[in-house]
Amino acid sequence: MRRTVVTGLGVVSPFGAGVKAYWTGLAAGACAIRPLTLFETNGFRCGLAGEVPEAAGGSLRRTRADRLALAAAGEALDDAGLERGERSAAALVVGAVGGGMFEAEAWYWARARGERVPGGVGALRTMLPGSHAAALGHRLRLEGPRHTVVTACSSGAVAVAEAADLVAAGVVDVALAGGVDALTRMCFMGFNALKLLDPEPCRPFDRDRRGMSIGEGAAFLVVEAAEHAQARGARIYAELGGHGATTDAFHVTAPQPDGEGMARAMLAALAAAGLPPAAVGYVNAHGTATPQNDRIEAQAISRVFREDRVLVSSTKSMIGHAMAASGSLEAVATVLALAHDLLPPTASLVTPDPEVRFDCLPGVAREAAVECAISNSFGFGGQNVTLLFQRV
Amino acid sequence: MTERRSVVITGVGVVNAAIVGASPALGAWLARPRPAPRTSSPVPAMRLPDATLAALVDGGEARRLSRVCQLTIAAARLAVGEAGLDPRGDPEQGLGLIVGTELGDFTSTIAFADGYLARGLAGLSPLLFPNTVMNTMAATTAIAVQTRELSLTLNVPTVAGELAVARGAAAVASGQVSAVLAGGVDELDPLVGEMLEVLGDRDVRGEGATFLVLEDESAARRRGATVLGRIGGMAWRSLPARPWGVGRQARSQAVAEAIERAGGRRPEWIYASASGDAERDAWETRVLAAALGPASLPTVSLAPRLGQHAGLGALRVAAATWTARSGLLPDDAGGEPTRVSGPGLVHGLGRGGNHVALVIG
Repeated sequence: MRRTVVTGLGVVSPFGAGVKAYWTGLAAGACAIRPLTLFETNGFRCGLAGEVPEAAGGSLRRTRADRLALAAAGEALDDAGLERGERSAAALVVGAVGGGMFEAEAWYWARARGERVPGGVGALRTMLPGSHAAALGHRLRLEGPRHTVVTACSSGAVAVAEAADLVAAGVVDVALAGGVDALTRMCFMGFNALKLLDPEPCRPFDRDRRGMSIGEGAAFLVVEAAEHAQARGARIYAELGGHGATTDAFHVTAPQPDGEGMARAMLAALAAAGLPPAAVGYVNAHGTATPQNDRIEAQAISRVFREDRVLVSSTKSMIGHAMAASGSLEAVATVLALAHDLLPPTASLVTPDPEVRFDCLPGVAREAAVECAISNSFGFGGQNVTLLFQRV
Repeated sequence: MTERRSVVITGVGVVNAAIVGASPALGAWLARPRPAPRTSSPVPAMRLPDATLAALVDGGEARRLSRVCQLTIAAARLAVGEAGLDPRGDPEQGLGLIVGTELGDFTSTIAFADGYLARGLAGLSPLLFPNTVMNTMAATTAIAVQTRELSLTLNVPTVAGELAVARGAAAVASGQVSAVLAGGVDELDPLVGEMLEVLGDRDVRGEGATFLVLEDESAARRRGATVLGRIGGMAWRSLPARPWGVGRQARSQAVAEAIERAGGRRPEWIYASASGDAERDAWETRVLAAALGPASLPTVSLAPRLGQHAGLGALRVAAATWTARSGLLPDDAGGEPTRVSGPGLVHGLGRGGNHVALVIG
């Protein structure tokens, strides 16, 4: 199997378009969780979200999610400096959940009121998660292997893992992978129905946390064979040393109470990289800020790593939980943390939960030159993924 | 791909309007492939009777789980049962799960939205919400069957089932998992039918689930499993096309790569993804001619008999192993089967350009 490295990054986040805006926000510990403007939230427990300030340009004939994806994917390809021929052979793996549901909802709401909506049929065409890969593949002229993975909130991370497998196995030299999700009424209503949203910006690992904040965005990474990247003189951000994917097979929404599935994913990533737990200096946690999930994730991290050796933070505290995009947004944050020797903080963490015995980097980013870091992503259905990145 | 492990099929589970059972049931139907009964409302389609499905799941599951999840679990259990695996009894039997679907649990998504539209906030169902995420079939099946390794849900038009099997085979071939349950599922409820009609969908539609147990051959033989067939090579690529569109380019690497991985022997017969969508079907014919030469090989689709759904893509792989064993290729029109020999190709090409090839035998 071949070594895989990251050579391109692209992001659209609640901080705005571009990797620079994203990293500036994370490094500053800024919170981009604000009152939601995209649709009405009257009557809901929570009216906040990590909303992208503007949908990153692009034709309004495209769905909001496609516009986010195209902007982030285009930035990643440009950042990698790939020639057109190298691009066309690249694989494309997209992690998605909501598809173009934001537009499809508008059509369905209007249909229920007996109204006709111009372009309604178009909304139906683009509502499935697989629609993003079709749009990206066509617009960016990618003709390698292409597929869309749906593993709920770990979709973006799974897409990166899938791309790494294709590169490592020699199917392609280059792959573009990431996740995308736009805010939708369905998602917002669903998490309200589950009573999982904090009325204030979320506070991962805080004793007084009350739930998550929903977000949106897109993040893509160019994953490349190390020898291919070196041969063309590409800038290498980090090595994707390994990944692990497991399933709890326990409950449709709740994680396994002892975190065994999560721990297995972390251990599998370490095994794939051939590294001991002590090699890891930073964990970008899934850290949703629900009372149950944070406690179980902390327990799982404790099963794998020594509490005094590893630093942990949740970047969801700054941008919210961007669903299918969260795994790839956090992968980019982890890669940038290695590249900048700076670990992003857990914003809004004031009173650490005594059950969470890690230093969760409250409020302020910390300078630290770690050699190896992991990014955890967990989804409904107990779909656990850990990505492990190493400094090069 | 640097494949070292031989991938074999050791279990098959099929649940659709014409076939319910493991590989013997599939073989019996393939020997005389009568069309599934068609319903005419809201669109012509081949829908599994609810009573048939009810007999395949227990009462608790029938109450708790959506219809598409029940289809998935029923087919998955049949496949695992035929393979003789027992992940519930032996958690060390690591089993992955890959589900291909075109439409997911659309019925629950609509029901969730309707709850809000009818009753406002009070109408929001926390039980329905998880089903609005397309991995709900994988989540419930993982619990029912106890698949605890890699789990993926793949969403692409037309070829989701073929792609799920190809991805599963790649996972076994590379050693990522030693065994995987891979297949496809779709259901067709009235509103989905209405929406497909609005979209101008041209496929002959059906519904159902087909799952296959794929294993590393050496591990399967060690445990004394019956080998139903071998996936010699697989590859997937994409051809230039607009989303939902049909492209012009016929040249593709996927077929050549799958053949090369299978040892280079040219396929002698084909299970194609022709689904009644004339434009897409013509494109597939051009792609196959470009890959295999102008002489047309015996080809069957089964879509006219069972209707297009993601389960059909996986069913074609299982059917191809039956053809490899029996030397018989069924006829889409119900005529006499064609006698064939040598390896076969399972070929899928979707609107938008997703392209999958698997060499069987």
